[in-house]
Amino acid sequence: MTNDPREGRMRLTILGGFLGSGKSTWLRHHLHHVLLQDALVVVNEAAIAPVDDALLIGSMRLRVLAGGCACCETRPALVTLLRDICDDRVGGDVSARRIDHIVLETSGLADPGRIVDAIVTDLVLQHHIVVGEIIVTVDALHGLAQIRDEDLGRRQIETADRLVVTKVDTAEPERLPRLIATLRILNPGATVSGSIMGSPADLPDASNVDPETLPTLGASAAPAPIGSAALDLGETPDWPALTVWLSALIHARGDDIVRIKGIVQTPRGRILLQSVRKVVQSPEILADEPTATDTRDGLLVLIGRRFTTGELVRSLNAFGIGGAVAIEAGVASAAGRPGHGDR
Amino acid sequence: MCANCGFPAAKGHWTDAGAGSAFDRIRGRLQRARILAPVLASYGLAVHDDGSGSGFMLANRTGHQVMVNTLSELWEAAERIIGRPVDPLDPRFTDEAPTP
Repeated sequence: MTNDPREGRMRLTILGGFLGSGKSTWLRHHLHHVLLQDALVVVNEAAIAPVDDALLIGSMRLRVLAGGCACCETRPALVTLLRDICDDRVGGDVSARRIDHIVLETSGLADPGRIVDAIVTDLVLQHHIVVGEIIVTVDALHGLAQIRDEDLGRRQIETADRLVVTKVDTAEPERLPRLIATLRILNPGATVSGSIMGSPADLPDASNVDPETLPTLGASAAPAPIGSAALDLGETPDWPALTVWLSALIHARGDDIVRIKGIVQTPRGRILLQSVRKVVQSPEILADEPTATDTRDGLLVLIGRRFTTGELVRSLNAFGIGGAVAIEAGVASAAGRPGHGDR
Repeated sequence: MCANCGFPAAKGHWTDAGAGSAFDRIRGRLQRARILAPVLASYGLAVHDDGSGSGFMLANRTGHQVMVNTLSELWEAAERIIGRPVDPLDPRFTDEAPTP
């Protein structure tokens, strides 16, 4: 039953990022890359007349969802489109059955967290789609201004697993390290890489650079800085106790704890747990043997604000999960996070 | 298993995902009730799961009772009764014990 680690579900990669931050350019380049070659690409555009599809002609399979942003006004249309893709895969066109991977390029106005919410709360899609990586592009030239002025820009960055700084060649040399340092404060759990026209590009060292001071934005923007905590729960943590603790934490603190990710041994096998804000995806059962890219078993990473690693460990203890050890504490620390290929 | 789409009819709540067998499931539920009891008691609530039915019963001291199916529903119901969420990072759970 568990031969297929994803239980037959398609993997969905979400590609987000602010308007004009280079999503399509990055995607066009990567469509020729092995990992995305066979992916079905879904492009969402807020504008009624789509232009991005022209950029993406290299893709064999492309669906366009225009005329509104899929995280809010065209959310039902996104769900319908994805359901159609699932239908085709299960019963329709034979050539469509091979689809194993969908890449969704969101509109520049989308909050990736809300797209995840749309998928994992849909009664059909949750059986067919598992959300994989959330990649967010950040414009090297305008990124800092967007982070400073736009709450949406910050929300996009906070939900990412991977941040790609685009147009690296256009940024002023002294501004780029500042952007990188700011990104690491906003989302200490994400990897940060550089790109020029979609090709990988080196980023300057930002380890001794001060991040931008970010003003508080509106009612929803929190003044508290984002931090991360990595906890080692041991090889076989008490799974029922862990679900009690995590479900309570997400209910009470889901607006502050932006992202939780971890691999935990359960009686059913190794499972991948992940949440984006208050939404928990139906956990993915993984292969018995860890792959090279997996985070370590028993490692739980939490990203968000208004908690300390010590509080988490003591709270776990109070909920009957003894033996949890903090691996690395720290607000705004960028170096040496376990489980991430950060350089 | 759904005859139309070939997938199980309901994905179930994420907190039920780790059980490999019916035995694990029952044991997990009893273990869950054991963990919940002191946590909820500190807010004046009691929880009961006899391992039969599909959910569990949450009650306060005045006898107000509510049936819930999942842990998420439990925390929502608890918040409605006590007027604020049960917060694992509340000082009652995170205060440092006097260290030896």
